[in-house]
Amino acid sequence: MRKFLVTFIMIITCFLLQTTLFRYIAFGGVVPNLLMILTASTGIMRGEKEGLVTGFICGLLIDIFFGSFLGFYALIYMYIGFIDGVFNKIFFPENIILPLGIILSSDFIYGFTCYVLLFLMRAKFDIGYYMLHVIIPEIVYTAVVSLILYPLILKINTRLDEIIQRSAKKFV
Amino acid sequence: MTDRSKDLANIHQLQSENDALQKKVDDLTTENTNLQQEKYELSNLRKLYDLDATYSQYDKIGARIIAKDAGNWYHSFVIDKGTDEGISVDMNIIAGSGLVGRITSVGPDWAKVETIIADNSSVSGMVLSSSDNLIVTGDLTTYANGEITFSKLVDEADKVTIGDKVVTSNISDKYLPGILIGYINTLNSDSNNLTKSGLLTPAVDFEHLDEVLVILQKKQSVSASSGVSSESEAQNAGSADASDSSAQADSGRSSTNEN
Repeated sequence: MRKFLVTFIMIITCFLLQTTLFRYIAFGGVVPNLLMILTASTGIMRGEKEGLVTGFICGLLIDIFFGSFLGFYALIYMYIGFIDGVFNKIFFPENIILPLGIILSSDFIYGFTCYVLLFLMRAKFDIGYYMLHVIIPEIVYTAVVSLILYPLILKINTRLDEIIQRSAKKFV
Repeated sequence: MTDRSKDLANIHQLQSENDALQKKVDDLTTENTNLQQEKYELSNLRKLYDLDATYSQYDKIGARIIAKDAGNWYHSFVIDKGTDEGISVDMNIIAGSGLVGRITSVGPDWAKVETIIADNSSVSGMVLSSSDNLIVTGDLTTYANGEITFSKLVDEADKVTIGDKVVTSNISDKYLPGILIGYINTLNSDSNNLTKSGLLTPAVDFEHLDEVLVILQKKQSVSASSGVSSESEAQNAGSADASDSSAQADSGRSSTNEN
């Protein structure tokens, strides 16, 4: 319960940052995908189910406020959260390369899926342009931000685990 | 000795004076920053006021942008007014000197706006000088240069030239007629030799939007004007009723379609 509450607060914070503050420090009109960082890192740290739920809530928020139909982003984020959760088995807190790689490839898959479903389906074939001007810049910016944000999420997560363990010992 | 004590007294006096002055400087600096911010806001609001006068035949309400699209594919944003203020879906948004977009969904104190530069939006427009209709479509690839595309312009007499004003057309479904969209930038003949297409520069600076105006009047639909009046009454009664009446309006529209 406590874990869910903390994750929910983190989702709301990231959503607000991404849609308000980061819009003002956007490079070339591109904002980093904080919600993807959060979804991917929750998936890696906690497992498939938690990643799936986090991704679903993140996507649903975007759908409600910006999507043209309900459920599109929720579905994409949910699948990505679930797939990232599979990597929980080989996750060690000391290793930062694996989570970073997973966050970046998640963001790439997200961008590519968006291109295919939203643009390619409307006969916009200029994939090189969209790669160079939307997908790649977003990945680079997300990478830079995740260097700061991922350790923070990791810290909150380990701290939370400690607190829960301690209170569990007290009751035994 | 007396000199010395006088000096000391002086120093005390000066110190307290210095403190007071320092405090005053701090206060004034804060005030100055506030005033500068207000001046910036004032110039923005003055521009909006000018725009208000240009389209004075419509009732309007000002709103602030509070969030922008979370992704990088489309251009939509959220404003801080909703059904409480009488705003409903399909109302037009203007800013700067022209059309911004329309409302696609609305809550009690927020509304989602889809802009005309978004890749998935199209507006029926009209060249002001020759009254020829065209379709204005947002495009992600051209918007990097501050332009959007238009197509299906029928101009057999070659009357349309570069720099002509494009406004919303009379036959548009959702947009009120005569709102400035932008200026024609390039003009090419299509391969079918019947229509023309090209690029136009929007009148609004979409990168630096802060405040917008919502036009509280909706484009009249075929379902008769009674639908519109009942809807505005329902807005006063509450949002639940509003959705009811819009459902009625929809059913009315479908019945006219059947006819």
